[in-house]
Amino acid sequence: MKELSVNQDHAKLHKVIALLKQKDLDGLIIYSGGTCSILRPSYLHYFSEFKPMGPRNAAVISKSGNIGLLVEPKWDEVRASRKSWIRDVRGTSDFLDDLLKLIRQLGITGSIGVVGSKEMTHNVYTTIEKQAELVLADDIVEEIAREKTPRELEIVRATSGIADIGFNAFLEKARVGIREYELAAEMEFAMRCAGADDIFILLSSGKHNFEMHEPRDRRLEKGDVLIGEITPVLEGQFIQLCRTVVLGEPTPLLRQKYEILVRALEETLLEVKAGVSAAVIAKAMNRVISEAGYAEYCYPPHMRARGHGFGAGSIAPGGAIDEDTRANLERDQVVVIHPNQYLPEVGYLACGETYLITDTGVEGLSETETRLYVKEG
Amino acid sequence: MEAMQPTLRNGRNVWDQINMPAHEFHERVRKVREKMQEKQMDVLLAYGNAFNDYANPCYFSNYVIRLPRGALVAIHKEGEVVLFFEGASRGLSSAKKTSCVEDVRPCPDVSRGYTQYLKEKGLTPSTVGCVGLKQLMPHYQRKLLTDALEGCTLINADPMIREMRMIKSIRECDQIRRSSRIVKGIINFLPDISFPDMNERAVEASIIREARFEGAEDVRVLFGRPQEPKWALRPSEETFIERGVAVIVYLAVAYERYWSEGIRTFNTMENSFSFPDLKKTETLYGELTKRIKPGKAISQCYEETVGEIQKSGRDYIAEYGLGEGIGLSLNEWPILDKKATGNLEEGMCLTLRMCISDKNMGAVMIGNTFFTSKTGLEALTI
Repeated sequence: MKELSVNQDHAKLHKVIALLKQKDLDGLIIYSGGTCSILRPSYLHYFSEFKPMGPRNAAVISKSGNIGLLVEPKWDEVRASRKSWIRDVRGTSDFLDDLLKLIRQLGITGSIGVVGSKEMTHNVYTTIEKQAELVLADDIVEEIAREKTPRELEIVRATSGIADIGFNAFLEKARVGIREYELAAEMEFAMRCAGADDIFILLSSGKHNFEMHEPRDRRLEKGDVLIGEITPVLEGQFIQLCRTVVLGEPTPLLRQKYEILVRALEETLLEVKAGVSAAVIAKAMNRVISEAGYAEYCYPPHMRARGHGFGAGSIAPGGAIDEDTRANLERDQVVVIHPNQYLPEVGYLACGETYLITDTGVEGLSETETRLYVKEG
Repeated sequence: MEAMQPTLRNGRNVWDQINMPAHEFHERVRKVREKMQEKQMDVLLAYGNAFNDYANPCYFSNYVIRLPRGALVAIHKEGEVVLFFEGASRGLSSAKKTSCVEDVRPCPDVSRGYTQYLKEKGLTPSTVGCVGLKQLMPHYQRKLLTDALEGCTLINADPMIREMRMIKSIRECDQIRRSSRIVKGIINFLPDISFPDMNERAVEASIIREARFEGAEDVRVLFGRPQEPKWALRPSEETFIERGVAVIVYLAVAYERYWSEGIRTFNTMENSFSFPDLKKTETLYGELTKRIKPGKAISQCYEETVGEIQKSGRDYIAEYGLGEGIGLSLNEWPILDKKATGNLEEGMCLTLRMCISDKNMGAVMIGNTFFTSKTGLEALTI
């Protein structure tokens, strides 16, 4: 094991120490199981600025400000040392043993806060529990992630640019004869070349879609309605575009129905700003769609969430915004608002994009317009 | 080997019943029920989650987890097999199309899903075989499940399933051959391409695109720059690849659930990769493959291969491991290690990695996927 490092002068560390003292905790473990989810914050990635790869990784912080980062696999220590601001980085091939050693070396003897406990397996949780009283503490990172730094906002905008590139590839490469998985491959290629760390694509094609799903073998046909959820991620920040493209001239009925969704989005945006309940998103959207005669299709099993938050350290106001969401919207939250809707006459349609919440309303992050797109051929 | 996991399994998701017919799964269920009877188990719970550990439920259902969530297959001693997956009901149609299980149930949490199922059916199992629950299931979910099964005897059934999965059926081997064909194709494709932007991200994007077009479900790429003073394999970075340097490329591809892995060391030209002259290294690697034969103790295979490297006078870099089983997971049993127990058997599919120091290139790494035949290793990615 390495010698203990000196305290690092980092804003996130200072904030964590203040919160540990406030909550009377002796230390904190920020844990990651090595996955990155669209509907869950990546706490360790956000805090350490290192995206973990192995199945068990943790930053351990004492209330006096000593800190160590433990990563699997052992050889990933080289990358972690380069990427993270944490200076004491230790690759491990015996995670549990080394975690306990690190806790002891940092002089943590009292209650330990745990962030990311839902990613901990039985072995990990019970091993630490034997050593100390554990207190669930996701709110510590959620709290420090509330305020976005200029750098984070820069990443938000860069990711939005990548999503636009993904949509342009969707539109450009969609053609009769291409298979769904080939089209998804072209979109992924375009977004990766534009700098995305990873991509989340749901895509569906057909004359009448029931859902968005992962790409299949189906070849696109003339008259198909293509729906896509295009979501690149950069440094833990996701941005989403929900778009519908028709291969060939759409029917007047389809145009008319899509307009309902565009109107639902426009009317919803009029009500969104910092300080109001996030539930207004679902309520406003459902009102417009219900008035058009589709009230029963606004709720499960047809539809549920009308949007969700995105962020590396926090996905506030939540992973699913519906009429029961209690959280209020706050300035600089990144929220996808999507009146995606199943309509019995035309099937499932995708419509929506990601916004930055401001004090007076929203800032649209996408450069591409929300409308029904038509691709000839 | 570990590599960065995706946020979504973005690739082609189909169940090709010609490649993997339903009776293959039914046969596995029949066999496992025989084993359950021997151990007097009332039910077997096979749990998996996320992108690296979907194998346990997939082995009995063909269901693949496409998000960092869990799935559970419950095999009771009689009656229908039930699949629980974490997700909304809108995922049901897709799950049914790609799985051989009729009774598929979406739920927010598989522990709750199974507990409700027991109530619904009025079942009270007394002995429960657990697969993957301890190592993979989040603690809070496992607690919920074990609380609900209070009074039941829980048996660790991991070794039982591990044993079944270690020896691949002909159809499983064929699937690994298919994913290996993609790996091999891309390894050979790399030197044929001119990259306008010789950047790790751009190279990775091209590799992934090529693999996706071949039907890859998941693709993992790592790069290594062994001439750098402190190097290790890592995911791509926004980094220019200079001319005249050594680059190690690790590639793993999953096709219709089954993985294959290949590793090569390249030299770089102006805008492309080339294969360096590695005859001596390749000959040494060839010698290693001859040391691994069915019937031999796995620990002996390890000792002999590492001994062979040391005899050659090259420094063996052990960090990445010599290899392990491959199939529904990139990391399966058996593990080629000195502590391994048991013998190598016909039907196992393995990876074999050799990473050694090199005075010109810093280090050289070669890795491939193999099928263990009666007579020895058959390379699938060369």
